Amino acid sequence: MIGEISHFLSLSAVLLLSLILIFNLFFSLNKFHPNQLMLSMRLFNQACWLVFISFGMYVYLAISDDFSIAYIASHSNSQLPIFYKVTSIWSAHEGSMFLWIVFLTAWSILFVNSLDKNHPLKKLTLLMLSLIILGFLLFLLLTSNPFERILPFGAIEGADINPILQDPALAIHPPMLYLGYVGFVISFSFITAYLLKGDFELQWEQDIKNWSFVAWIFLTIGIALGSWWAYYELGWGGYWFWDPVENVALMPWLAATAFMHSLFASSKSNVLKTWTMFLGILIFVLSLFGAFIVRSGIIDSVHSFATDPERGLYLLSFSGLITLLALSIFAYRLPDLNSSKLVVSGSKESFLSMNNILMITGIFSIFLGVTYPLIIESMSGEKVSIGPPYYNTIFSPLILIAAIFIMISVDALWQRSMSLKALFISVTAPTLLSLLFLYLIWRATAVFSILAYIGIFSGFLILFSYLFRMINNFFNKKYINKGSAVAHIGLGLLFFAVSMNSILSYEKNLNLAPGESISVNESLQEFSFKDIRVFKASNHDVISADISFLHDGREISLSPQKRKYATRGQITSESAIHTSVLKDSYLTIGDQLENGSWTFSLKINYFIKWIWFSAALMVSGMLLTIFKKKVL
Amino acid sequence: MNQLLRFLIVILPILIVVFFAKVLLVDEEIKFANFEAKNFPAFQMNDLSGNPVKAESLDGIKLVNVWASWCVTCLVEHPFLTKLSKNDIEIIGLNYKDADSKANAWLQKHGNPYLFSIYDPRGDLAFDLGVTGAPESYLLINNKVIGHIQGEMNQIKWETAFLPLIEKAKQGS
Repeated sequence: MIGEISHFLSLSAVLLLSLILIFNLFFSLNKFHPNQLMLSMRLFNQACWLVFISFGMYVYLAISDDFSIAYIASHSNSQLPIFYKVTSIWSAHEGSMFLWIVFLTAWSILFVNSLDKNHPLKKLTLLMLSLIILGFLLFLLLTSNPFERILPFGAIEGADINPILQDPALAIHPPMLYLGYVGFVISFSFITAYLLKGDFELQWEQDIKNWSFVAWIFLTIGIALGSWWAYYELGWGGYWFWDPVENVALMPWLAATAFMHSLFASSKSNVLKTWTMFLGILIFVLSLFGAFIVRSGIIDSVHSFATDPERGLYLLSFSGLITLLALSIFAYRLPDLNSSKLVVSGSKESFLSMNNILMITGIFSIFLGVTYPLIIESMSGEKVSIGPPYYNTIFSPLILIAAIFIMISVDALWQRSMSLKALFISVTAPTLLSLLFLYLIWRATAVFSILAYIGIFSGFLILFSYLFRMINNFFNKKYINKGSAVAHIGLGLLFFAVSMNSILSYEKNLNLAPGESISVNESLQEFSFKDIRVFKASNHDVISADISFLHDGREISLSPQKRKYATRGQITSESAIHTSVLKDSYLTIGDQLENGSWTFSLKINYFIKWIWFSAALMVSGMLLTIFKKKVL
Repeated sequence: MNQLLRFLIVILPILIVVFFAKVLLVDEEIKFANFEAKNFPAFQMNDLSGNPVKAESLDGIKLVNVWASWCVTCLVEHPFLTKLSKNDIEIIGLNYKDADSKANAWLQKHGNPYLFSIYDPRGDLAFDLGVTGAPESYLLINNKVIGHIQGEMNQIKWETAFLPLIEKAKQGS
């Protein structure tokens, strides 16, 4: 019964949203009637609340193990703790789409109600948001209904959530990511409303600035958590795979980052306004593209849901429709938008726009990497995979140029050209210092890889230029934008950590008999196989090896295990991990060889934790920017 | 210039949408017909219990199925693969971007239709093979890949795509 009520509430929301759109058809788009707006607002708020209550009831259904609902029966289980009963809702397509819509609705209702009641763009924004929510609710109910019952008899027990999804990181990773993705519906619909309205005296930047910043924070955390989960939980031994779904999350992130930067420029000095608008639209379009790629099953990936083409077609046509709507209005208004003000070359804005171009290049390269296999396949039937080498080759020069522009822009001024002398002074010290440190790293590691060195050098350029600026700020009281400094230091650290990880990490296969001891390399000495123990646990036998080694003088003891399950003779192996600030050591035990020795696989991953630390810095920088009293 | 820009802003998304619609609607049959036989990539890997995989173990008629414990669709096709493994064909698993402990636990829970599973935690072999994700299935005859299916393996795909190939190969030999 509760299932039906929940279903009915969602259907009612569809009805109310349609009503808003139909009712507003009777009025001119540009005229303002207070009562018309008031009525639309009421309907809209009610529709949003219907969605929330409907979802709340659905959560209740999941907690109370209603296995007559097909979706809950196939993704939850009565034995699960309540926490995972709730998170099982977003462990597959239907429920996660529902959550996506709830977030869309939440952002929309908060934003629309935050606008002043006489705000000239309020009505048009409301209509855009209604249209978008309506389209996705219909998608949910028509092609992926989470309320479907198993009739006449429900399942007695649920099929259980996939065990690897029973993890706290997974419980928050999708919601964070969705909050980020759909948060940009605000810039999308507000800018579209602005363009529809056609009153270019209005200012729009301030109204959506902080909303977009918050959405960016969620998106960043979501992406970072996803890579954390892949590394620690899935034991993939890596943090980023250039998987299609990681790529489609990175595209809106890059667009959002570009958008924030150009938003600063356009509100600081009235330039790049058209460009900023375009980016504001683009972020949400890329988010929709991501939803399409993941949910249509067009590319198989770690994240794909089992799907049917009908869903893909619906998503494609609806996303295409609203994208086209926004972009056509943009194209139509383009001649009126061109602001007469030009960017002063050598000013902060000019370097910032250069980096905007680089970020767009990045987006385009990823887009090409994602779609290229599809293009080739549809033309020749041949299958190609595009892997990390493509992305690494493309991104390292982009990163270098970006780092150079960031370095210069640290000391550059808004709206004023920088003299060559000033430029020379500000870049010399960081560049020399970066070169020196790069040389030291080369001396210390004796490894050379051009791509990684470009990455390390870029990281250093950013780190040192901010370091100098901070010193200058401390002694000479020169102004420093704290939020920006923290975020960019995070970026510099990220480049550094990722590149160092790629050159230093290694994997070794070792053969040892119990009691033997060997040196693996200069930093890893006395790898000794002390003992092997066999004991019985509840339903399996355990073979456990006691290993210790000296890593850079520090003694580390690890006990990897092999388990043999009695019932089926299945053998599983449990790796042992030791983590420290600089590196993680992974040790897995293999098989016993004929001569009595055992095989071990040892993986050393450097600077891996630094990657998430730098993401945390970027987020903190953003928070500082939002909560600074006088922003911009 | 401005006119061209305005035109592009509208026409590019339309082209992209049309392209994806076309890809979505492409008949699966055509994909099978276009497949070109190629050699199975050379590899040196262990199976899930840690033993090295011998190249000879791929001789004869084999089905190589890419799977992982995190893969939802793999669970969907699992009963059908189990059925196939009983009397139709020998199946070799390619455990893709997974952790061996989790993969073994998965097999223990759901049953093991595979002769053995090649353990490919980083997806190296899968990359050489052209795998885009799990599940995927490859039909092998004497170390040559002669057929490929993306996504869930089921009765219809088995009968339309792989059975004719197997019969042809048997007649040939």
